[in-house]
Amino acid sequence: MAQAVLAVLAISGVAAMLALILVVAERFIARYGSCTIDINQGTRQITIEGGKSLLNVLTEEKLFIPSACGGRGTCGYCKVTIREGGGPILPTETPFLTADEQEQGLRLSCQVKVRNDLVIKIPEELLSVREYTAVCEKIEDLTYDMKRFILRLQEPDRIDYVPGQYVQLLCPPYPGSDEEVYRAYSIASDPAETGRVDLIIRRVPNGICTTWCFEHLQEGQTVRINGPYGEFRLSDNPAPALFIAGGSGMAPFVSILHQMEHAHDTRSVRYFYGGNQVRDLCLLDEMKRFEEHLEDFTFVPVVAEPGPEESWDGRRGLVTEAVSEEFDNLADYEAYLCGSPGMIDAAIKVLKSLGIDKARVYYDKFA
Amino acid sequence: MKQSPDMARLEQVLRSGRIVRGGFLGTDRRPLAEIIEADRAAVTRRGLTCERIAGRMAELTAAAMGRLGTWVDAGGGLQVRAEEHKGLIVCPWPHPARCRKRITTARRSETGQALQWTDLSIHLIGKHAFFQGRESAFRMEPDALIDFLGLTGEATAEDAGIWPTPKR
Ligand SMILES: Cc1cc2nc3c(=O)[nH]c(=O)nc-3n(C[C@H](O)[C@H](O)[C@H](O)COP(=O)(O)OP(=O)(O)OC[C@H]3O[C@@H](n4cnc5c(N)ncnc54)[C@H](O)[C@@H]3O)c2cc1C
Ligand code: FES
Ligand SMILES: [Zn+2]
Repeated sequence: MAQAVLAVLAISGVAAMLALILVVAERFIARYGSCTIDINQGTRQITIEGGKSLLNVLTEEKLFIPSACGGRGTCGYCKVTIREGGGPILPTETPFLTADEQEQGLRLSCQVKVRNDLVIKIPEELLSVREYTAVCEKIEDLTYDMKRFILRLQEPDRIDYVPGQYVQLLCPPYPGSDEEVYRAYSIASDPAETGRVDLIIRRVPNGICTTWCFEHLQEGQTVRINGPYGEFRLSDNPAPALFIAGGSGMAPFVSILHQMEHAHDTRSVRYFYGGNQVRDLCLLDEMKRFEEHLEDFTFVPVVAEPGPEESWDGRRGLVTEAVSEEFDNLADYEAYLCGSPGMIDAAIKVLKSLGIDKARVYYDKFA
Repeated sequence: MKQSPDMARLEQVLRSGRIVRGGFLGTDRRPLAEIIEADRAAVTRRGLTCERIAGRMAELTAAAMGRLGTWVDAGGGLQVRAEEHKGLIVCPWPHPARCRKRITTARRSETGQALQWTDLSIHLIGKHAFFQGRESAFRMEPDALIDFLGLTGEATAEDAGIWPTPKR
């Protein structure tokens, strides 16, 4: 009996010892030592303790890479080029990387663990991305499902961006949503007011961030954003421009129109803005004001099917139909699109049929 | 019903609000495997498959696409509209699948009865036989969904009453 007990004790002891060795070994093996990351050919060099994801390391160094999924490898936004030391592409990355991108060394920075020295390249404009705290100064109803959130920057207290760019808004955990998430929103303010960022947000049924914005975020509350991001912007080309938007796609154009007003831009702009019903249209008065202040700007609101109680004597139909009715040939034009991916697809089809050069059609490729 | 550790891990993700607000299981306390099995059985009883149901939902969504959120007559007494927001959402199952943030509303012209689903709902039903837990935001009751879509399948032996009559 005593022998049996001793044998059990001995086996348990050995097992406990092995477990301890494993834990220690894992700790030891998981130490990657100090690693150096060279960013954009020596523009910046950081030395850190290895073991974290590249995205986390860069964020800690206040280098913000777009990311909407909190580093879970599910949004595909956090791409950076790794020139040396990245190791093989992981199966979690391949769905997000085209063959060309893989060839060029693009990787999802949230999936790459820093285990050794790295040489990486990030787009130059991301070097100027900052994190901001801001106070939500005012929340305005624009339509039944769209609101404008006016954010007053605190720290830093000013932002430089190109009209058309977007920021990422941090949505903190709240009942029903367990983790911090970031969502992208186009800046909808006057770029001359550098201490203010306006966002126009449309509610998404059961959406994490929009529900937080509509039901939890209060005037006076502090929020966090980072940015600016994105390449959507007005070109320097004096060619006549066609803007096409729907819903919250209005946002970047507000900023762009302010920019044109400040620059006394004489460029010809036709802006087609569509909604299903009259109640879906927003900022009609502000657009009227731009028509009065800009040299050659026409705003064309288009309603697909006015509601039974709504009176509407403006254009009817889909916004894309209004464009094809208005123009025979758009070969000389540039087109700027902002709205749902479906609207963008439909607009591109119409624009192509009207002879516009594909290279002169601009929209956010993240759509 | 005993669940595999993988299934238990997945259930944890589905109960959490990490991917969608409020999670996918609502107030349903049944284990995930049981929820899926019960719904799959309901579909089988109607002589249908989850793929067929998801296929019909996808057809209706496709009919509404390109009409920018306006109502479209989809035939069979149904009208549909699809509203889309920028961005992508992932499938909670451990495989790389992403869906557009698109919501389809379908309504029966004669009764006005309406149902809503997202592209993710279609994927979850078609690929994972997952109609979500009771009272989750996008739970779809298989029987109600099948009736709404007007789908008919080959009746099972039980439905058709062709079991041999027990001997007295
Ligand atoms: C570059 C860029 C700029 C943008 N600018 C703007 C802007 O200016 N204004 C704006 O309003 N938006 C903008 N967006 C979109 C914005 O980033 C968000 O994607 C949008 O607000 C939705 O976020 P959310 O967290 O509320 O929804 P999410 O939580 O991400 O919702 C995802 C989807 O899942 C669905 N869903 C929820 N629960 C379930 C369930 N149980 N089962 C199945 N499906 C479910 C939802 O209905 C929705 O379709 C922009 C996006 C990009 C990429
Ligand atoms: S942060 Fe979303 S995929 Fe990397
Ligand atoms: Zn899936």
